[in-house]
Amino acid sequence: MRNDDELPLSGAKPVNDDVRGELEFHLEQRIAELQKRGLTREQAVARARESFGDRSAVEAECRDIESRRRSTKRRADTLDALWQDLRLGARVLRKSPGFTISAILTLALGIGANAAVFSIVNGVILQPLPYEHAERMVTVNEAHEKRGSAPMPVPNFLDVEAQSHSFDGLGEYGSGPTTVLVGGSAMRVNGGEFSAGFFKVFPLKPVLGRLPSPDERRVGASPVAVVSYAFWRDRLGAPASLDTVRITLAKSTAVIGVLPEGFDYPDGTQIWMPLEQSPQTPSRTAHNWEVIGLLRAGVSVDAATREIASIYARLKPLYAPQFDGVGAELVPLQSAMTGSVKTPLYLLLAASAVLLLGACVNLASAMLARGTARSAEFAVRSALGASRGRIIRQLLTESTLLALLGCAAGLALAAGGLKVLAYFAPAQLHVERLHVNVWVQGFALIVAALTSLLFGLLPAMRLSRSDSALALREGSRGTGGVRRMRAWNLLVGAEVALAVVLLAGSALLIRSFARVMDSKLGFDQTNVYTVDVELPSANYSGAGATVQSFHDHLLDRLRHLNGIQFAGLANMLPLSGNYPNGGMVIEGKPFLKDGPITGYSMYRVVGGDFFAAMGIPITRGRAFQLSDENATVNNMVVNEEFAATEWPNEDPIGKRVRVQGMDNKDFAEPWYTIVGVAGNVRGQSVTGPYRETYYFDRHTRPWYRARRVQYVVRSALPIATIAPLLRKEIAAIDPQVPVEITTMNDLVARSVADRRFVMLVLGTFAAVALLLAIVGIYAVVSYAVAQRTREIGVRLALGATAGEVRSLVLGSAMRAVVPGLVVGGAMAIGTAQLLRTLLYGVTPFDATALAGAIGLLGFAAIVSSLLPALRATRVDPLIAMRAE
Amino acid sequence: MGMHLLKGTFDLLILKTLSWGPAHGYAISRWIGETSKDDLTIEEGALYPALRRLEARGLLSAKWRKTDTGREARVYSLTEDGRKALRQEVALWQKYVAAFTRVLESKPTESLS
Repeated sequence: MRNDDELPLSGAKPVNDDVRGELEFHLEQRIAELQKRGLTREQAVARARESFGDRSAVEAECRDIESRRRSTKRRADTLDALWQDLRLGARVLRKSPGFTISAILTLALGIGANAAVFSIVNGVILQPLPYEHAERMVTVNEAHEKRGSAPMPVPNFLDVEAQSHSFDGLGEYGSGPTTVLVGGSAMRVNGGEFSAGFFKVFPLKPVLGRLPSPDERRVGASPVAVVSYAFWRDRLGAPASLDTVRITLAKSTAVIGVLPEGFDYPDGTQIWMPLEQSPQTPSRTAHNWEVIGLLRAGVSVDAATREIASIYARLKPLYAPQFDGVGAELVPLQSAMTGSVKTPLYLLLAASAVLLLGACVNLASAMLARGTARSAEFAVRSALGASRGRIIRQLLTESTLLALLGCAAGLALAAGGLKVLAYFAPAQLHVERLHVNVWVQGFALIVAALTSLLFGLLPAMRLSRSDSALALREGSRGTGGVRRMRAWNLLVGAEVALAVVLLAGSALLIRSFARVMDSKLGFDQTNVYTVDVELPSANYSGAGATVQSFHDHLLDRLRHLNGIQFAGLANMLPLSGNYPNGGMVIEGKPFLKDGPITGYSMYRVVGGDFFAAMGIPITRGRAFQLSDENATVNNMVVNEEFAATEWPNEDPIGKRVRVQGMDNKDFAEPWYTIVGVAGNVRGQSVTGPYRETYYFDRHTRPWYRARRVQYVVRSALPIATIAPLLRKEIAAIDPQVPVEITTMNDLVARSVADRRFVMLVLGTFAAVALLLAIVGIYAVVSYAVAQRTREIGVRLALGATAGEVRSLVLGSAMRAVVPGLVVGGAMAIGTAQLLRTLLYGVTPFDATALAGAIGLLGFAAIVSSLLPALRATRVDPLIAMRAE
Repeated sequence: MGMHLLKGTFDLLILKTLSWGPAHGYAISRWIGETSKDDLTIEEGALYPALRRLEARGLLSAKWRKTDTGREARVYSLTEDGRKALRQEVALWQKYVAAFTRVLESKPTESLS
């Protein structure tokens, strides 16, 4: 920014000349004086030199001091000029508060949207996971030839753990909601079992106590558990010593250690128990546990994958055909945890950038309009000698000031926005833990800096070019009308185009979401309540009789309760997680290559009037009946998908099916006879495919399959009425059973939370972009009308009708808007591809969405230019002419 | 051979010289030489770095100006800060000299050992 003619330095002489000249002057004077005293020239020169001392050293020192002084001064002068610009800028902004406030608001919306989305992107994707060596952590699944991947069976895991050299640690674990008794009161927390290797992957030092010893990691050892810091503090009461602290899970369990604060892997876990204490099935096809590994430093994912594949190649001949793995699938932990949200988040970030671009365009045209009004001021300044650079700098200072203020307001908006987002963002994003931190502030500042260039530079260049003489003569009415109008038309067009892109994108998502909500779930979720019941394993272990009789009692009570139409239970409801699936044998069908099975099926255990309570139609045969419960035959209900796949042209009723290897070896699998076919139900996700599913009566499966169940109750009562009723009934049987009640509607809503989140955020951005476009068009058209008042007056005086004037104004507005709509439409088609993975039931080239977006904007454009157009027709020709 | 200057007092001399009015380096050098009757010997060249330092500290300002002989010279003058600094330095110097003189002229009233 340095500019020599504006920052005069004392003596424009270069440093060298300045120093040498001064010293030469001294010597000359001295010589002259000595000569005057009678010395010869030679004597005088010699004397002068002698008394001066080391001239070159002095000269060097002076040069040094002088150049340092000059650069210091230059810096000070620059700062001074900047300060002046800032003060001038602030004064200008204060003088037009209307413009300033609307500019800051516009920027705040743009920057705030960016900062809020960036907070999430930063917190979820960019920041490393809060674990040591998180970059080397991977999830490990068993890869299968045909069916993708599944958790690794225990014996295979043990072989891989023993033979692999690629890992510093490999841990196997399973975790989920569980019921724990602390001092007599029951609570549901997340807990699970973890192999010794887990704590090699996470080499944690307990803040209190210790980790399980090798001796505690064997079947039959006395139960121990390590708990989270939060559990120790909030649930156990933060005891200083763990000596006597016990909690009850399956058995009375000693708490031996407390992990450091904040550690809760996997998400939300409070209790870690040694996995090795429970006996494991020797099956090499039972996929029950998850595996996490810490790669050795320098070992790549690919190398480790290849090594495990070679281990599997050695194992397979030993155990086939009871062996279905071919190797491992390794995914870096961070991608495993954020994989599904990455695309939508980046998409939202891009959308917020588009929104900001729209805000910039809006501001640029506002600056231009203001600049026109100020052209006389600039003309005067440049006539008084301000250079073009100086005027550009001052305009840029103004836009920088605006951007900084907008940035501050935007950050405040982002902080508020995050609080709102926390309510409807998918839970795995943990938006409630995010806040506007240094990263976000830095990001917003960079964005603001770019912004100020974008909306400040173009008007600054354009305005500073205005011919000063012309502007002075024409006064504040401004000129250069045609060229300036062309710039405006461009800006308005750009704004319209950007808004079309956002509107079309969100229209696509909205239509897709509508399709999702319309998709046939296969059950009727209205008036259905779900009750999570987990019978504490301490009190419901051993023989299954207690579990069965609890359910017998509860179902019986519910069946007789007033206001309840139907009550049933299932080991897992639709849309509440991955549910179990496994191999099966259909009588009379040939085995598959994979093993002694004929296929795979999803597996559900149900009880009571499950189908009626859920509203799942029975399309053939019958549902389970009360009388089945005492029957000796094992009956089965399958879904339509099952029937259609296995017996496309036959009646499935009466066919026989057997489960293969689901509930380990202790249970001899009987043949089941199909008695009914139920309608298809969306199992895992609202948009997922129907899967083959068989339903079992709870009496015919091992008892533990019904220890943790979800009751479904169909009732027209409001939740406030029915919840206490249900709690009372359960407490009457066992007051120690924790109960969680939700509505089936909530369950459905939760399963579409991702989609709803992206749709709502993008929709909000689109709405803001639309608003900005409306404001922008209105402002520009109003301004154009004001500029043309005299022309319009003349036209009216010459006999033009109001209609003609209206269409004149509308026509010129549309000349800017229509190209914007066209370009925006083309851009929307181009960008719709990015949305592909988020769409359901609509293609990216959805004519309805595109036409809707263009139509809405076109309509908004007409409405926002209509008002100024009407005002134009009310121009009084006489007044307009006199304005001259 | 005269006395050598005490450290820091040279600046004071320069400021004092300029308090009579703007002057170029040679004039300052001559004035110091004359008024001290050459009792203070300074290498003439040492004056210039000292002047530049004072200028960098903002105590002096400098401009190239035509002298009576028509030759251009770098002329120094005291700034407002320079005047203030001079007053402080002079006061300090006088206090110092007075204190030192007092010490040198006093006699112990009792035995020191």
